[in-house]
Amino acid sequence: MTALTIAGLRKNYGSVAAVDGIDLEIPKGCVFGLLGPNGAGKSTTFKCVLGLIRASAGRVLFAGAPFSPAALERTAYVPERSVLYDWMSVREHIGYMKNSFTGFDPERARELLAQFGVGDESKRVRALSKGMRTAVAVALAFARRVDLLLLDEPTSGLDPVNQRSVLNLIINEAAQGTTVVFSSHQIGQVERAADRIAVMQRGRIVLEGIVDDLKAGRKIVEGILPSDDFSVNGLASDARIVRLERNGRILRAFVTEQPDDVAAHMSALGAQGLRVVDLSLEDIFLDAVAPKVTTASVVEEA
Amino acid sequence: MPVIFTVDPRGGIPIYLQIVEQVKRSVALGLLAPGEQLPTVKQLALDLTVNPNTVARAYRDLERESVIETASGRGSFVRANGSADAASIAAGRDVARGEIESAVRTAKSLGLGRDAVTELFQKSLDRWLPEEA
Repeated sequence: MTALTIAGLRKNYGSVAAVDGIDLEIPKGCVFGLLGPNGAGKSTTFKCVLGLIRASAGRVLFAGAPFSPAALERTAYVPERSVLYDWMSVREHIGYMKNSFTGFDPERARELLAQFGVGDESKRVRALSKGMRTAVAVALAFARRVDLLLLDEPTSGLDPVNQRSVLNLIINEAAQGTTVVFSSHQIGQVERAADRIAVMQRGRIVLEGIVDDLKAGRKIVEGILPSDDFSVNGLASDARIVRLERNGRILRAFVTEQPDDVAAHMSALGAQGLRVVDLSLEDIFLDAVAPKVTTASVVEEA
Repeated sequence: MPVIFTVDPRGGIPIYLQIVEQVKRSVALGLLAPGEQLPTVKQLALDLTVNPNTVARAYRDLERESVIETASGRGSFVRANGSADAASIAAGRDVARGEIESAVRTAKSLGLGRDAVTELFQKSLDRWLPEEA
């Protein structure tokens, strides 16, 4: 069952494509982490999904159906920049949410606000720090009974204790079957809370998958070559190697399958001290957004 | 049940495999006795601050490998089939096999041959599992 379908989504600003044709199928009950450098198009994607800005092309389906008032009632969104009203108090925001959404639970909101350390409901939003505004926006969203949570950097500006609270709220929702899509620059948080991720860069998706499978599949095989000018042409045809990096005698092969067999291949060509290195999600992310050096070009240089 | 699992989400080992390994180790050491109930998926996910689907995947793997069994609506339990120690012995063997595989692979990648590895292995056996006189 698919909670959210994004097909061929595109958003052009003049000649610039902020979102350049993305396709995503987000299964029900998963926590989907959206990663990418600043300006990759993550926030624009969220806004296009909700129709807050008009997409230039593409389709978005909520549980298989186009966006509707009913879908809005079952979807909560925390934008990157707080949409709270400066002149309103926290209590007025609770009242406003109660009037706007049938599934909003004011008691739950108060409980969450207390947990985040926002005790004084009479405070106006203008008097709150950036982190506290994020906390209020998150508390109001999680106090709604929804099927889909879209969270654009829900931990930005929060202290480590409140960041952990937000992660546990996400985990708690997911355990009840709610689908959560969230963006973050903190890869460690995505690694914990998300089971699936997509990495965006310049409006496109450059990597997507189940976090554990990405980790299981991707390894670096490192070996030492006999000399600086030792030829590694024999590796050019090895399809399991997606990228080779060479620094003097040290050769690193980025592989997506059968790392042990690649190590054996490198050993047969004369490399020594072979080591299979596990990659963290941060390594995998950095590799996905780094300029690519292809196997062929390294081999030509060598 | 006290939390006896720790995982390193930032490492390169898939989290679900870390949980599988930890449960097997706990069963092998008797920290989890046959018939004992495991935390629910939701509880373990919240305790470890990791994704619940990831915990569920670990539990499915453990079920498939007959380390635990899940009774719908009642939770997951360490399997207690036949001899009370069977699950514990099998789990211990699994964990040890992984460690030995990894040690031999490291030795090989450092350029050690079969004879050198056998010699090291023999020394290790003599130290930890000496033959009784």
